[in-house]
Amino acid sequence: MTRLDHIQSNAHRKADDLVLSCVVPLSNAAPLDAVYIAFAGHDLAQVFLFMSPGPDFDALNARAAELFDDCCVASCTTAGEIGPKGYTEGHIMAVGLPRDSFATKSVPIPDLNELSAQDLCDEMVQTRLSLAQANPDKPNGFAFLLVDGLSMKEDELASIITPALGPLPLFGGSAGDGDRFERTQVACAGETFETGAVVTFVYTDCETRVFSLNHLVPTDQRMVVTEADPENRVVKSINAEPAAREYARIVGKDPNQLDEFTFAAHPVVVRFGDTHHVRAIQRVNERGELVFFSAIDEGMVLTVADAQGIASHLDAELEALSRDTAPATILGCDCILRRIEAEQTQATRAVSDVLARHHVVGFSTYGEQIGPMHVNHTMTGVALYPPKARPV
Amino acid sequence: MQLIDPSDTIERQNAKLIKITEALMRRVEQKTEQSGLAYAQFERAALLEAQVRQRTQDLERTLDLLHDSNAQLAVANRETEAARSNLAEAIETVDEGFALFDAQDLLVMSNSRFCKDLSDIKASIQPGLAFKSYVDLIGSSRFLSLPAVENRATWTQKRMQRHTDNHVVFNVSLVWDRWLQVSEHRTASGGTVILQTDVTGIMRLERRERAKLMDRQAKMVRATLDHINQGVCIFGHDGRLVGWNMQMETLLNLPIDENVVGLEFAALVDRLGDQFDYSGTVSRAGLLAWAEKRTGRRPLTFEVDHGKDRVLSVFAQEMPDRGFVISFTDVTAEREAARALREMNETLERRVEERTLELGDALAEARRANASKTRFVAAASHDLLQPLSAAKLFVSSLEDRATDDLSREVAGKAVSALASVEGIIEALLDISKLDSGQASMNIQPVRLGSILTSLRDELTPSAGFRGLDLHIVDSSVVVRSDAVFLRRILQNLVSNALRYTAHGKVLVGVRRTDNGARIEVHDTGPGIALADQRTVFQEFKQLSPNRSGANGLGLGLAIVERACQSLGHPLALRSEPGQGCCFSVTVDCVQADVHDVIDTSPDTRLARPKAEGVMVLLVENDAEVARAITLMIEDWGSHVVHASSGEEALDLLDEIEIVPDGFLLDYQLGDGMQGTDLLARLRTRYGKVPARIISADRTPDLLKACIDLKVKLIPKPLNPARISRFLDAAAT
Repeated sequence: MTRLDHIQSNAHRKADDLVLSCVVPLSNAAPLDAVYIAFAGHDLAQVFLFMSPGPDFDALNARAAELFDDCCVASCTTAGEIGPKGYTEGHIMAVGLPRDSFATKSVPIPDLNELSAQDLCDEMVQTRLSLAQANPDKPNGFAFLLVDGLSMKEDELASIITPALGPLPLFGGSAGDGDRFERTQVACAGETFETGAVVTFVYTDCETRVFSLNHLVPTDQRMVVTEADPENRVVKSINAEPAAREYARIVGKDPNQLDEFTFAAHPVVVRFGDTHHVRAIQRVNERGELVFFSAIDEGMVLTVADAQGIASHLDAELEALSRDTAPATILGCDCILRRIEAEQTQATRAVSDVLARHHVVGFSTYGEQIGPMHVNHTMTGVALYPPKARPV
Repeated sequence: MQLIDPSDTIERQNAKLIKITEALMRRVEQKTEQSGLAYAQFERAALLEAQVRQRTQDLERTLDLLHDSNAQLAVANRETEAARSNLAEAIETVDEGFALFDAQDLLVMSNSRFCKDLSDIKASIQPGLAFKSYVDLIGSSRFLSLPAVENRATWTQKRMQRHTDNHVVFNVSLVWDRWLQVSEHRTASGGTVILQTDVTGIMRLERRERAKLMDRQAKMVRATLDHINQGVCIFGHDGRLVGWNMQMETLLNLPIDENVVGLEFAALVDRLGDQFDYSGTVSRAGLLAWAEKRTGRRPLTFEVDHGKDRVLSVFAQEMPDRGFVISFTDVTAEREAARALREMNETLERRVEERTLELGDALAEARRANASKTRFVAAASHDLLQPLSAAKLFVSSLEDRATDDLSREVAGKAVSALASVEGIIEALLDISKLDSGQASMNIQPVRLGSILTSLRDELTPSAGFRGLDLHIVDSSVVVRSDAVFLRRILQNLVSNALRYTAHGKVLVGVRRTDNGARIEVHDTGPGIALADQRTVFQEFKQLSPNRSGANGLGLGLAIVERACQSLGHPLALRSEPGQGCCFSVTVDCVQADVHDVIDTSPDTRLARPKAEGVMVLLVENDAEVARAITLMIEDWGSHVVHASSGEEALDLLDEIEIVPDGFLLDYQLGDGMQGTDLLARLRTRYGKVPARIISADRTPDLLKACIDLKVKLIPKPLNPARISRFLDAAAT
C-alpha cells in the first residue's frame, strides 16, 4: 500500500529523537528562529526555553509563541544554562518534547502574590485529569514547575499544588538572574510574568524518574535562630548575636569578608530525624543580617554542613540513575550555589563533563522544588528513559 | 566551635543562653505567627516526606520478604508435584490395577488399570472416594456377575467384612466370563493397598480343559459348518470323504446321502462329472494329482464354472492329520459386478478425458477474461476517479450558484449520485485488487480492541440515525491479521447489518475458540434463507432491491469474502428467515506479551480530525504521494482537489471559483513555480489563507523562507497527526 511510504508511521521514532535540545547564543540576531530551524521536522508537544537574562525576554517569548504556535511553550530566566557541554552562560537552552512520546499542558500562574489555593488546586486537578484521560497510551509522567526566583513564594506554591497532583511527582526550579538577584521572570505561551510561575504537566510513554540530590553532610556545629523576619526570609540574630557575625564565628571566617563563596563553602541545613534540607544564605544585608533563599523562622536550629567532592558525588548519583538503562536525557535544575561552589573548588570543568556525559540539559536556579518542598543547594530533575517496548 | 563564644563574660553568656532558650521554647510551643507560615509549611512537608520515605522502605522490605517466601513456596510446590508425578508414573507401570486408601479409608490414588473392566463405575473412582462407597459402587456395577444364590446387598456386606482383615485375597467374577483376583493389604500407616489382577486367562484355560472332556467339540464343528455360507467337504488322510455341510448339497444341487461317506476323492470327482468346467488355473487332472499327494499339499485356490451361469470359488487346504478340506463359495454375483464395473470404468475414463480437454479450454478462456476484467476495472476505476472528482466540484459549485430551490435540489441530488458512483468505483478497485492478488497483506499482531473502539466511534452515529442500538463489546484479544483489511471486513459487516436491520439492534462480540477468536456480528434483521446464503457474497447481488449506492450494489460482502479468503480467515453465516443474521470471522490469536503488540500503525484513524467536509487544495507533482495524501484525507471525511503544479492550481481555482478551506503545497513542484511562490500568489488573491508547505527538504534556507512567509512546514514523510491538526485549524 502506497500510503505506508508517504505517510509517516510510528516506526519513524528513533531513540536519538526522544527529547530534542539545542543551545543558541543570546547574541544571535534571531535566536528563536534558529531554535525553530533546529527543531524543524519534529512534531512537538512542548518547548522549554531556559534563557540567559536580558532586556529582550518579553520580545523573545513573543517570537517563540509565534513560531511554536501549535505547542506549549514555557520559559524562564536563568542563573546560567546547562547544555551539551555542561555549564554555560549567555545562551538560550531549548528543550523540545515530541508528540510521539509526550503529551503536555503548561498552566500559567500569573501572580504569586494573589494565590487562591482552592482555585489553583481545582485548575491543576482538572488539567491533570483531562490530559491523562486523553492520553491513555502515555501512562508515565511528572509535573515541572518554573517559578519566579525572587518571589519568596515557592514554599507556599509548592505546598498548595502538590496535593492536587495526585500520583504525578513534582520538581522544578526557581528562575534566576545571573548573579545579580534583581529581576527574574517566567513566561508561558508568549506572556511574561514578573512574579509568576508555570506548571507543566507532562505525560509520556517514556520511563521517568524524578530525583533530588545534594552532596552535603551535616556536622555537629549548630546554631539557633533567635530573631527573624520570616516574611522576608531574613535572619536577624543567631545565638542572640547579630546573625552575620555569629555565622562567621561558627564557621571560623572573618565577619567582614562574608560572600557567596563563603556561603557555598559552609552551607547550613535543618535536620528532621535523619534527613536534612539546605537553607541557603543569599547575602548579608546592610544591617549585618543574613538573607536566605528559602523559608526560615525563629527558634530553628541551623547545622553547618560539609560538602563532599561535588563532581565525584554528582557522577556517582547520575551513574546510579543509569544502572539498568541509560536515560536518553536528564532535565535538571541545578542550584546556583553548586555552580559557585564548583568554581570555588576549581571543579567547574569536572562538573560540566559529568553533566555533559549524562546528557543533562537545564539551567542554574535560585532554588529547587521537589514534591511539596522548596530547597537550595541541590539538583532536582527527571531522568527520561526510552519506552520499554517501542512499537516497530 | 561552641554555641556560645567563650570569650564573652559569664553574664553575657548567660543572657544569650536565656534568649536562645526562649527562641527554642517559642518554636517548640509553635507560637508561630502568620509570618512564619512559609517555614511551617516547609517543615510539615519535610516531615511528611521523611515519613513517606520510611514507610516506602518498610513496604519494599516487606515486599522483598514476601517475594522470597513466595519463591520458596514455589520450589516446595514444584518438589511435591514432582514426587507425586513420580509415584503416579511408578504405579502406572504396574500391570495390575492398583489403589491406595489412607487410614481414614479415603482413596488417595489409583492407576488407570484399576477397575478398568467395570467401565460403568470407572469414572467415579476419584481421589477422596470412601472405601465403603467404592465397595457399594462395585456391588452396583452391572459388570459384576454374582452366583444365583447371592444378591448384591449380601455381596457388599461380605466384602466389607473382609476389609477388616489385614490381608485378603479373593476372586471376583465379572460378566462375559472375566475374572479378577483382588488382594488387599494393610500398610504400616493403617492405609489399604488393593491390587486387581486379571485372571480370566487362567480361568478360561481351566474351563477349556473341562470342555474337552465333555466332547462337545464335534457338535460345535458340525453346527459351525452348517452355519457358514460356503460349501465345505472334509477328506480324511486316506483321501476319503468324512464330512460335509448342508450348503454343499445346495451348491451342487446334489443330495449327499450316507452312501457317499467313505467315497474316495477321485470317485467323487467322477460323480460330479461334467457339472464343473475347469476354466481356471487348475485343471481336473491337476486337482486329482493334488489330492493324490498324501502329504505336503500347498493350499489351492481356483474357480470353476458350474452349469451355465454360476461361478464357484474353490479353496483346498491340507489339514494337520494329512487329510484335506475343500470349500466352495458361490461368487457369481461378485464376478458379474466386477465385469460390469470394468466396462463402466472404461466408458467413464473416456468421458473424463473428453471433459478435461473441454475444461482446460474453458479455464484458459476464463483466465484471459478475468485478467482483462481486472485490468479493465483497475484502469477504468483509476481513470474515472479523477474526472469524477472534478465533476463533483463542478456540480457543487453549480449547487452553490443555483438561484431557485428546484435547481439546488437537482444539483444536490447530482452531488450525492456522483458520490455514490465514486463509492462504487472505489469498491470495484478494491475487489479487482483482491482478485488479482495485488492487495498486499501486512500480517502482524493486531489489538482487536482498538479496531472495535474506532468502529464504535464511527458507526454509532449512523446506527442512531437509523434508530438502531449498536452494541460493540470490548475485547482484549490480540489476533494475527492485517489491521487495515480486518477493520474493513468488520466495518462492512457492521454497515451491512445496520443497513438491513429495520429495527432492534446490532451486536458485535468476540468469542474465544480453541486457538483463535471468532468475531461475530449479530443483527435483528429479516434474516437470510438458506438458499440465498451463498448469493449474498457475490458482487452485485443483494436480496433487497430497493437500495442504491456503492454498498447497495452488494459490493460490501463481496469485499468481505475476498478479503477473508486472502487473509485465510474463515467466514461463516448463520441465519434463518425472521431470526436475524450472524456473520462471523474466525482469526488466529496471538499469545503475546502486551508490550510486544503493535497497535495498528500508522494509525490515521487515531489522528482523525474533528472536522469533516473540509476542502483542501493539494498541489503535489508526485502522483503517488498525492494519491496517498488524498486517500488519507478522504478517509477522514474531507475533500481534496489536486493539482500537480502551481500554474495548474491557479487555473483550476479560476475555473471552479471556490476558495478551498486550506492549502497543502509541496515545495518542489518540478520546473514551475515553487510552493512558497505559489503561496505568495494565493495570499495576494485570497488574503491570509490556512496553508502548510510540505517537503522532504529541511535545509535552513527553506525553513527561513517558511519563517519569513509565516507558514508552517510539515516534513515528508507526513505525520498524519499534523495534517489532522491542520484540517481542524482550516475548518475554523
